[in-house]
Amino acid sequence: MNFFRLLGAYFVVSFMGEVAYRVNFFVQLFQTFLNLVVSLGGLAVIFSYTDKLGGWGPQEILALVGVYFLVGGLIGLVIQPGMEAFIESVRDGTLDFTLIRPEDSQLLVSIGRIDIWKLIDILLGLGIMTWALIMLGQKVGLMQAGMFVLALAAGGVIIYCFFLILATLSFWFVRIENILVIFQSMYEAGRWPVSLYPAWLRYGLTFVVPIAFATTIPAEALTNRLNLQTLLGAVGAALVLLVISRIVWRVGLRHYSGASA
Amino acid sequence: MMQPPPAIHIKDLRKVFTVSQQDSGARAALQGLVKRRTIQVAAVDGISFDLEPGEIVGFLGPNGAGKTTTLKMLSGLLHPTSGEVKVLGYIPWKREKSFLRQITLVMGQRNQLVWDIPAIHSFELNRAVYRIPPDIYRSTLDELTELLELKPLLNKPVRNLSLGERMKCEIAAGLLHRPTVVFLDEPTIGLDVTMQRRIRSFIAEYNQRFGATVLLTSHYMADVEALCRRVVVIHHGKLLFDGDLSALVQNFTDHKTIVVRLEDCQADLKEYGEVISCEDNQFTLRVPKAETARVTERLLADLPVIDLLVEDPPIEEVIERVFAQEKP
Amino acid sequence: MRALAGLYLQQFKTTMAMMFQYRAMLAIWMLGQVLEPLIYLIVWSAVSTGAGGSVGSYTTRDFAGYFVVLMLVNQFSYTWIMYDFEYRVREGLLSFALLKPVHPIHSDIADNVSSKLITLPAMVLIAIVLAFAFHASISPQPWAILVFIPVLLMAFMVRFLLEWTLALVAFWTTRVSAINQSYFVLMLFLSGQIAPLTLLPQPVQVIADLLPFRWVIGFPVELLLGKLSPVDALIGLGAQAAWIIVGYVLLRIVWKAGTKVYSAVGA
Repeated sequence: MNFFRLLGAYFVVSFMGEVAYRVNFFVQLFQTFLNLVVSLGGLAVIFSYTDKLGGWGPQEILALVGVYFLVGGLIGLVIQPGMEAFIESVRDGTLDFTLIRPEDSQLLVSIGRIDIWKLIDILLGLGIMTWALIMLGQKVGLMQAGMFVLALAAGGVIIYCFFLILATLSFWFVRIENILVIFQSMYEAGRWPVSLYPAWLRYGLTFVVPIAFATTIPAEALTNRLNLQTLLGAVGAALVLLVISRIVWRVGLRHYSGASA
Repeated sequence: MMQPPPAIHIKDLRKVFTVSQQDSGARAALQGLVKRRTIQVAAVDGISFDLEPGEIVGFLGPNGAGKTTTLKMLSGLLHPTSGEVKVLGYIPWKREKSFLRQITLVMGQRNQLVWDIPAIHSFELNRAVYRIPPDIYRSTLDELTELLELKPLLNKPVRNLSLGERMKCEIAAGLLHRPTVVFLDEPTIGLDVTMQRRIRSFIAEYNQRFGATVLLTSHYMADVEALCRRVVVIHHGKLLFDGDLSALVQNFTDHKTIVVRLEDCQADLKEYGEVISCEDNQFTLRVPKAETARVTERLLADLPVIDLLVEDPPIEEVIERVFAQEKP
Repeated sequence: MRALAGLYLQQFKTTMAMMFQYRAMLAIWMLGQVLEPLIYLIVWSAVSTGAGGSVGSYTTRDFAGYFVVLMLVNQFSYTWIMYDFEYRVREGLLSFALLKPVHPIHSDIADNVSSKLITLPAMVLIAIVLAFAFHASISPQPWAILVFIPVLLMAFMVRFLLEWTLALVAFWTTRVSAINQSYFVLMLFLSGQIAPLTLLPQPVQVIADLLPFRWVIGFPVELLLGKLSPVDALIGLGAQAAWIIVGYVLLRIVWKAGTKVYSAVGA
């Protein structure tokens, strides 16, 4: 529960900080809107020439786009800003201030910066998902909803661990903020079902950069095509990665405190 | 003969900033989204002074007094709200190239060197930017390298340098084009005493060799004492004092310090003045200026004095008093 | 002029030294530059295969060619000035730039050109590999290849001028990332990065014609692919020239206004 208390505190602080830059609220709104137009426009163009893409129909892809916005919003809300702030703090040495706090440093680093305007993306993602489900005329049963939530949570954890491990590399290498920038363009791939891609890229997007877990698998749960094995696999992968990222963090921290004067 | 024109001329200089206000609390924050309260703050509020060519002047004031704002107006980064600024006859904010080539601004808390590569690359870049002829560049670089002992530092990435080493490179980068007007904003901040001393003697040396005019802000009075005969003191954007350092002490203290050496620390000297300390049988007393002579006389008459010294209070103390009382 | 050449040379050396420090970063960054067009290549190949081998005037192999060339054109005309400027203003580096007796645009030009020269060989190599892997068809007439070179340079100039101007927004507000992203989203859609513009609805194409985006990416790509007539090429060159003039004038005006604001507010 300590986690939620801290998260709440950081949330309030960033809310206060951000409100001072009110222009950003409207710009973010505008930008999310543009992003939506591009997504839907792109879909419209593509589906004016075909009616199935990688085995998915237009409404199903729309549900995937909803998940894409939702997860992208979660990443942009806390994971990415926190990790960027962390990498910066390793570079300029202000990480020391975090390390002397009487709280788990990994936790502090993970929620260290919050970009509240990304809530707009999350809300929009939920909206698109709902819209897509209504158009599909699909009833979401308890089982299906449960699978979706579980898949989403597993995907979120996997992405978080992935970011954390990458960011932890900054303990060893000087300048890697670009690694995170790259994720943004990689994430574009999550707009589409991974079944679309050639095998090598499909594996890459599942096991190297785990975008499939973040978008395709939850969207599969939503559109009734997820089997139990995949779901259990995702949950298992999330747990394993959680442990690995913790170990990497510990080792990195030891390296950091050993190397800096 | 005519007086040479001043290197720096400031008259009734003012700079007013508009600052937005945000109250704490979610409600106020939300209101801030729609409407913002602003207030006008005069960072520099009508100051005037001149600097002669070749002078080194200490520019003092507590944090937020308007020192950096003034330096930024002098170097052309800020446009004054009103008043007159001239540096070498130029109006700084026009940022004419011939003006920029003759000045430099070194800030102790910011760096212009490219962080991730050796300083020598940044130097070379400045050579190109300031169009320094190769032979002059060579000799200036050699000179600076020698004076600041840069040789082992030049080829290391800047991020691997210590704060002091980085500051030395920073100063060198700022002086490669041999500016005739040098603005130094806290050049010794955060450095250890040895490094401070080295940089201080370097500034004096540079001033001598090139006849440069130097305006220096520093929190370390040792810098000011060592380098500047004249000081300008501002507070809340207003000029408090402009004159010799010794006159500052005279003006702002009504006390002197008397150091008396006795055989032991037993004696009670309270009746002679305020006892500040007694170490190694040496008393330090604070005495009103007007009574110094009388107290000295009494001390010598009443006690077995081994040694006696009358001093002005340390400059730090004077400055502290200046800022505390605000007006003389 | 000679002094300026010296400046460019020096900036080039500095950039080289920095790039050398960050080889890994550079490689990662290039990976991103490759991935985005690759995704759309795959999506459109799938659409085209599903639709019986072609969509509009594009065959499956045309799509491969389109996105491979697009990758190169984008790499060549891309700048990161808008992100950099925000950083400069935030860190107070702009003050140092303003104290220098040289317009700061020169160091940016030199910086961009030199980093492109460094990354270009690798990008060309990647493009060739992808072209073979996806059986790309690229069949330009000789004249188109000749025209392609100046078109590419002008595309870079248009983008550089406009993005440098847009970067100056940092003078007014220190948080410009949202504006930057909006620009890149528009660029994505209207430049032909999502789909060849001829496949978009007519009204969108009209809008794209009026904005600069298509002329810096879609136009060079279509030219090299052999999709354009000489008249189309002339129109494109004209549009590029017009945008260079517009960009230059805007840059002068905004720079002047921006430095004025900066010197009123400070950093």
